[in-house]
Amino acid sequence: MLQKLTQWSRLKSPWILHLNTGACNACDIEVVAALTPRFDVERFGILLEGTPRHADVIICTGPATRQMKDRLIRVYEQAPDPKFVMAVGACAMSGCVYRGAYNILGGIDQLIPVDVYVPGCPIRPDALIEGVVKLLDKIKQGTR
Amino acid sequence: MNDQALIAKINEGLKDKVVAITSPAPRRIFFKVTTDNLLTAVSWLRQELGITHLSTISGVDLGQSFELLYHFANNYCAITLRAEIPRDQPVLPSICEVIPGAILYERELQDMFGIVVQNIPDGRPLVLPDDWPAGNYPLRKDWKYERPPEVIPGGKS
Amino acid sequence: MSFQIPIGPQHPALKEPIGIRVTVDGEIIREADLRLGYNHRGVEKLAEQKTWTQNIYLMERICGICSHSHATCYVQGVEKLMEIEPPKRGLYIRILVSELERVHSHLLWLGVAGHEAGFDSFFMYVWRDREIVMDILETISGNRVHYAINAIGGVRRDLDEMQIKHILESLEVLRQRSDYYRKLGTTEPSFVARLAGVGYLSKEDAISLCAVGPTLRASGVPMDVRQDDPYAVYDEVPFEVCTAETCDVLGRTVVRIKELMQSYNIIEFLLKNLPAGPIAVRAPRKAKPNEVVSRYEAPRGENIHYIKSNGSDKPERLKVRAPTLANYAATIKMLKNGFIADVPLIFAAIDPCICCAERSVAIVEAKSQKERIVTMSSLRNLSLRTENYKTRKREAEWPL
Repeated sequence: MLQKLTQWSRLKSPWILHLNTGACNACDIEVVAALTPRFDVERFGILLEGTPRHADVIICTGPATRQMKDRLIRVYEQAPDPKFVMAVGACAMSGCVYRGAYNILGGIDQLIPVDVYVPGCPIRPDALIEGVVKLLDKIKQGTR
Repeated sequence: MNDQALIAKINEGLKDKVVAITSPAPRRIFFKVTTDNLLTAVSWLRQELGITHLSTISGVDLGQSFELLYHFANNYCAITLRAEIPRDQPVLPSICEVIPGAILYERELQDMFGIVVQNIPDGRPLVLPDDWPAGNYPLRKDWKYERPPEVIPGGKS
Repeated sequence: MSFQIPIGPQHPALKEPIGIRVTVDGEIIREADLRLGYNHRGVEKLAEQKTWTQNIYLMERICGICSHSHATCYVQGVEKLMEIEPPKRGLYIRILVSELERVHSHLLWLGVAGHEAGFDSFFMYVWRDREIVMDILETISGNRVHYAINAIGGVRRDLDEMQIKHILESLEVLRQRSDYYRKLGTTEPSFVARLAGVGYLSKEDAISLCAVGPTLRASGVPMDVRQDDPYAVYDEVPFEVCTAETCDVLGRTVVRIKELMQSYNIIEFLLKNLPAGPIAVRAPRKAKPNEVVSRYEAPRGENIHYIKSNGSDKPERLKVRAPTLANYAATIKMLKNGFIADVPLIFAAIDPCICCAERSVAIVEAKSQKERIVTMSSLRNLSLRTENYKTRKREAEWPL
C-alpha cells in the first residue's frame, strides 16, 4: 500500500537535479527555458531541486571532463535510490564535437548508468519534456 | 592617430630595441623585441602611449623555439608585441608588475607550454585538472594524445 | 570565525561549474580565489586537427549563449587570411544575427539578475519575452541556439520579405516590453536598492586589471570594439557606446538595458537598409601562410582570436580568449571586502559565460583555516532572508 503511494508520487511529481559536467551551456539554458512560461514543466509537477539528496532524476549535460569525473560519481552516489539518469544533448551521449580531446572521456555513460538519452545539439525544451515522459513510462512499467 | 604616425613614434621611442615592425592591415601593428627588453618595452607602451589594456598572451610552438605574442589594444589600434625564447630553455620575465591583469594569461602559458615565467606572483596551474600527470604540455606540437577505447553499454564497441 | 564555503560545481541557479574559494572573517570576505578547469575541453588543440570549415562548428560550441560571437570572430579572421571579401548583403545578415544575439543574451542576464536578487516574477516575465527573440532566430536560421549561419565568405541563408515583416512586427512588441522593464526600476525601489553599492570596481582598477565589456563600461570607461576597431558594417551603422558612472552592479544593469535599446535601433536600421545582391563568395580550401588578429564585441565583452596558417587546409595555431576570462581578475577584486551573501550577485553581474567556469564556492575561515562547503543557492537564500542584506542603499535612485 505504501509502496503504491510512493510509486504514484514518484510518477506524478519527479524532482530533478540539473548537473552540468563541462558543457557549452546551450543545453543548460534550454533546460532552464523549460521552466519558463512558454513550456512550463512545473505544471507537470516537475520541480528543479538544488541538492542531490532530494532528487529523483538527475539531468546531466555536457561531456564528462577529467576534472568533473569524481564530482559526477560523488553526486550520483549522494542521490537516494531509486534514481534515474537522463543524458541530455549530444555531448552527454557521446561527446559531440569534442571527441578526441585530451580532457574528455566521452559521454557520461562511461561513468554512470544512463536510462534515457535525449539527442540534439542543443536540445529543444519540447524534446526534454518528451524525454521525461518516456522516463515516467519506463518507471511505470517497472523496467530499468 | 593613424598607423604610420604610430610606427614612427615607436621607432623613435624604442630606437634599437625594436628588431622588426610591420603593419599588415589597417589598425594592426606587429613589432618584435628581444626577451631582455620585454619589460622596458611594455613600460614604455604604458607610459608614453597610455596603452594599458592587454587582451591576451598567445604562445606558438615554432619547432626550435616558442614565440610569444602580447596583444595590446586601445581606442584606435591593436598593437602586438613579439618575443622569442629557445625551446630548451623556456624562461620568460613576467609583466605583472606593469600590467596586473596579465596574471591569468601567464599561468595558462605555464600550463600549456611548460614555459617558466620568472617573478610571477602566483604560479599555480590554471586550467588543467588536478590529476594531470606532470611534464605533459598539451599545446606543444610533439605532444600527441591517443584516445582510450570506449565501452558502449549494451551494444558493440 | 571564518568559514570556508565552497560553492559546488553543481548549482541550481546557473548552469556551469566553477570553483571559488573565499576566506572570510565573520561575514566579510578577506581573500578570494578561483579554480577554473572544470570546463576545459582542449578546444585549441582539437582545432589544429580540423579543416577551416569544420572549425566553424567547433568554435560555435565554445559557448552556448554567445555562440555566434565566436563563430563570427573566427570567420572574419579566416576571410582576412584567405584574402576574400564577403558581399554587403552577407555582412548585413551576419550583423543582424549578432545584434539579435546581443538582445537575447541581455534579456537572459536580466532574468538571472532578477532571480539572484530574489525577484522571481521578473525572471519569468523577461524569459517569456526572450522567447520572441528565439522565434525570430529560428525563423532566420532554423535553430534556437547555435545558429550556424556563418560560412567562410558570407552567410548560408537569405532573408525574404515575409521574414523581414515578421521581424519588424516582433521588434515593436519587444520594444514596448523592454520599455516597461526600464520603467520598472522607478516603481520597484527595493530591487534597485538591492543592487546598488554591491561589487564596487573603481575606474583605475577596471583599467589596470584589463576588464572588458559592460563590467568596464559601468565604471565609466567608453571602450567598445564596435567603435574602436569597426569590423563588418559598423562604420556605416549609427549607434552610441553606453556607459554608466556608478561602478557597481546597478551600473552594469543600466549599461545592459541601454545596450538593449541601442540594439533595437541597429536591427531596425539594418532591416530597412538591406542591400540586394549575393550572400556569399566562394572560399578556397587552403590559406597562404600568414597570421591575423580578429576582435569582436560579444555581449559580454571583447572577444579576441589569433589565427596562424601555414599554407595547408588546417590552422597552425588558433588562440581564443573568451571575454569572461578577462573579467576574472576584476571579480576577485570586487569580492574582497564584500559580504558572503553578495557572492552570487557579484558573480552574476559579470555575466559569467561559464563555459569558462564552474560554480562551487569554498569558504575558508581566516583564523582557523577550517573549510566548509556551501552551495550558491544557500548563499542566495541567506541573502534573501537576512534583513540587512535585503537593501544595501535605501536611497539609491534609478539613473535611467
